[in-house]
Amino acid sequence: MSEMSADAVRSEVDAFRSSIDALRKEIAISVVGNTEVVDGVISCMLAGGHALLEGVPGLGKTMLVRTLAETLSLTFSRIQFTPDLMPADILGTTVIDDSGSGGKHFEFRKGPIFANIVLADEINRATPKTQSALLEAMQEHRVSVGRNTYVLEEPFVVLATQNPLEMEGTYPLPEAQLDRFFFKLHVPFPNRNELHSILDLTTGAANSVRKQVLDRERILAMQKLVRQVPVARHVQDFAIRVVQATHADGPDAPEIAKRFVRFGASPRGAQAVLLAAKIRALFEGRFAASVDDVRVVALPALRHRVLLNFEGEAEGVKTDQVISEILKATPETKAGVSGEAQVGLS
Amino acid sequence: MSVSESNGEPMMHVSERDVASLHALALVAERRIRRNRALQVGTSALAIALCVDAFTLLLRKVAVLSEGTTRAVLAASAISVIAAMLVAYFRRLSPFAGAVVLDKHHGLADRITSALSFSRMSSAERTPFMEAAIEDALGVAQAVDPKKAVPFTRPRDLPIAGGFALALVLIGLFEVRKHEPVLTAKTIEPVDVTADDLDAMRDFLKEMAQKQETEEAKAATQEFNQLIEDLAAKRLDRTEAFRRMQALEQRLLEGREGDAKAIEQALAKMGEELKKAELTKKAGEALENKNLAMADKEFKDLAKKLREQGKNVDKGQLEKMREALKKAADNQKNRSESLAKQRESLQKDLLKQRQKMSDAGAQDEEKDLLKKKERELERLDRETEQEEAARRQLERLDRELEKAAEDLMKDLGMSANDLDRAAEDVNRMARQQMSQEEKEQLRQKLQELREMLRQQGQGGQGQMSRLRKFQQRARGQSGGGSKSEQGEGEDGESGENGEGKEGQNGKEGQSGQNGQGKGQGQGKGQGKGQGQGQGGETWVLGPNGEKILMLSRGQSQSGGQGGGQGKEPGKGVGTGHDDHITGAKTNPKGGTVDSQIAGQETGQGSSRSEVIQGAAEKGFASRGYQNVFREYHTVAEEALNRDEVPGGYRSYVRRYFQLIRPREDVTAGAPPPAPKD
Repeated sequence: MSEMSADAVRSEVDAFRSSIDALRKEIAISVVGNTEVVDGVISCMLAGGHALLEGVPGLGKTMLVRTLAETLSLTFSRIQFTPDLMPADILGTTVIDDSGSGGKHFEFRKGPIFANIVLADEINRATPKTQSALLEAMQEHRVSVGRNTYVLEEPFVVLATQNPLEMEGTYPLPEAQLDRFFFKLHVPFPNRNELHSILDLTTGAANSVRKQVLDRERILAMQKLVRQVPVARHVQDFAIRVVQATHADGPDAPEIAKRFVRFGASPRGAQAVLLAAKIRALFEGRFAASVDDVRVVALPALRHRVLLNFEGEAEGVKTDQVISEILKATPETKAGVSGEAQVGLS
Repeated sequence: MSVSESNGEPMMHVSERDVASLHALALVAERRIRRNRALQVGTSALAIALCVDAFTLLLRKVAVLSEGTTRAVLAASAISVIAAMLVAYFRRLSPFAGAVVLDKHHGLADRITSALSFSRMSSAERTPFMEAAIEDALGVAQAVDPKKAVPFTRPRDLPIAGGFALALVLIGLFEVRKHEPVLTAKTIEPVDVTADDLDAMRDFLKEMAQKQETEEAKAATQEFNQLIEDLAAKRLDRTEAFRRMQALEQRLLEGREGDAKAIEQALAKMGEELKKAELTKKAGEALENKNLAMADKEFKDLAKKLREQGKNVDKGQLEKMREALKKAADNQKNRSESLAKQRESLQKDLLKQRQKMSDAGAQDEEKDLLKKKERELERLDRETEQEEAARRQLERLDRELEKAAEDLMKDLGMSANDLDRAAEDVNRMARQQMSQEEKEQLRQKLQELREMLRQQGQGGQGQMSRLRKFQQRARGQSGGGSKSEQGEGEDGESGENGEGKEGQNGKEGQSGQNGQGKGQGQGKGQGKGQGQGQGGETWVLGPNGEKILMLSRGQSQSGGQGGGQGKEPGKGVGTGHDDHITGAKTNPKGGTVDSQIAGQETGQGSSRSEVIQGAAEKGFASRGYQNVFREYHTVAEEALNRDEVPGGYRSYVRRYFQLIRPREDVTAGAPPPAPKD
């Protein structure tokens, strides 16, 4: 990419933006509103990360993921998480198969995880053991079964959903697994107009078929392009300071963080923020991420990485509240950063 | 922008000049930020400095701070404002502060800031994305306006600074207060002495001045008089008054060489001896009777007799006279020697007694005895002193008498001369004694005055007020009509042209709380009115707080006689107001003829108690009261002279009599109070 000229970059960026716009447009045919959630899911895909969608039942979480999979010419599998779901049900299992010569041999039958887009529906209903089966796949993009390790095909995106209301018979995701998710997206309840549109779309006779907008190669190219977007040092510094401030003992932690936060965001969180900021810059046709991009993506990237203490839970404090306060309190620029003149190349 | 080849494709590099334009924009914005910040901080510092300046100037205006200190503070505050502004301007800004502001204001999503950040890298290090970002920033930079991005902001503390500046100007308008001590006339708090007391003193001094003969006594009296006048004119404060009294008393004491009584006693002894000889019998008797003038005369007569009939005088008588003169001359000497011996003996006893007590301890009885002896010694000392003084006074007389005795047998003429000189001595002593008596009287009066001032000083205003009220009543005045002393009455009025109207007098008298008067008028052509009220008693507080009973009967009587020619009794009702209780007013237009009738003392006047009662009602001004007072006063003085009365009590008694002394008759001509039935 370093060989590209600025004009080439400009054209690449334009193409990227066109692709995204096309994808958004196509998704919008089936999914009404929820543009932020759609952008979030797309961002996850472009960043090579995974998204956890949280919302009450019936808001179209599954529909969104399904639509995304349909608009992309990628393999899609859906796993309905239940308490009796076993890891093998997700990863796959080795079975004895009769060979043509009359002999028998073990054969690995791939599970639903082996797809480009995996919908882990109601992920918190499965036992932790089963939930943990996703860990390696999500982080390493590969699956180890027995003595064999199977690399998952890129792009690999897990889009998990969970219901925040029904807590009985559920198993909240452990922190380690939560940290694997690039974004945690809240699916809001649609407004009146959106509801009208939803009803029009879903209760009528028309049953439109989505066309595939992006193929696998294009997506991989876009993922590469995202990584080349430069970030100025002050923007990167801002992202770092925001992440530091999520820690109660962080240098710029506001009062709310000091009081209610048990654990702050990990460096993986900072990575997610910066990467998401780059994607957002590209979404807007810019060539560099800005502080504002960081501000926008900080919430979905950090809200599941900040753990509240007992007092915070008891007080009913939301992590979004904490992060918003941090964003307000953190100045855009601050003196004393080493390598000030340099530019973040992440 | 420069073009270079990269992988066969031309690469457009952003030139440094293009980037410099971005820097310039950011720099302008940064300067404006610094300027605004300097103004903000400077204004805040100015507000504080002006506050300090105003306070400092205020202190200067009230002369708390010196000119130099004020100037220093003002200069320091001005420097601090400038320093604060400079620090605010040059203080480090956050990186890309200008660019950030430009991005923010124009909604450029950090394009300029990022471009500037990327531009710090060398061209080789920059990625195409960075180049694109810089170009992008350059593209939008055309529309960027630092003035709009960083507008001039009015310092928020400007109104406060303005307020303090205004205060400073206002304070500056005031003049610096100068501590110039205001020259105030020294005022004194004069001693308050009532006019009545001053009158009493004046009367006394007037009386003294009339009978004084010696210049010394006259001078002392004059000085005393001046003191009284100064007190009357309120020219003396307490300290000065007491100082003057002390000085005067000292002066009065100066001439008092010997105790008068001791001299009198010595002369009496001398007279006793002289009385034994026929020739000096009369002179001796005169001396014994303390009649020094007579003694002087007798000595002169004797000298004359000796000159004229020298040789005819019986030798035996001359011898007796010589012995008498010698004894008289030695008498004083012997008495002094006797006193000295007594004293010496007593002193020895005393020493022994003290030694004994120190050796063996002392019993109570022994202690009492010792004290008694000590007191006796003191008495003897006093007596010795007095005797010594008397001896000095009588020394010349003794010598003359002794010389006369010696010369008597040699030359009668010389002896006669000696007796003449002795007579002169006696005369001198007589004059001196008279002067001493006068001075003693003055001194006594001075002590009374001092005691009076002392007591009045202790009593305060309340006592002075009561004293004045009392003295007013004592003078027969109503006392300004205080509530407890109001009286009401009407004079009888005789009818015009002889037609007497019914006089009504004392229509309704009321005196005090208990006094209730009831007027009854009767006109009989003579305008004679009479008011009569029921007897009331009023307790008046005396000057020292003691209660003095003042009787008031609400009774008045008009004593005016119309004497008109009217035959019919007046039937009208008298009008007018009786200002005085005695109601002496009579209408002079009554066409009457005055007739005077001299009263004759028949000894049937009012009784003593009636006089006192009358005085209590109307004041101490009646003639009858004067007699009664004189009588009582004489008795009291005799008792004071006769008895051993402590000085304090003595002064109280004298003060009492001074207060109740007869005053001038302010209602002269008024008849004495009618005796009570």
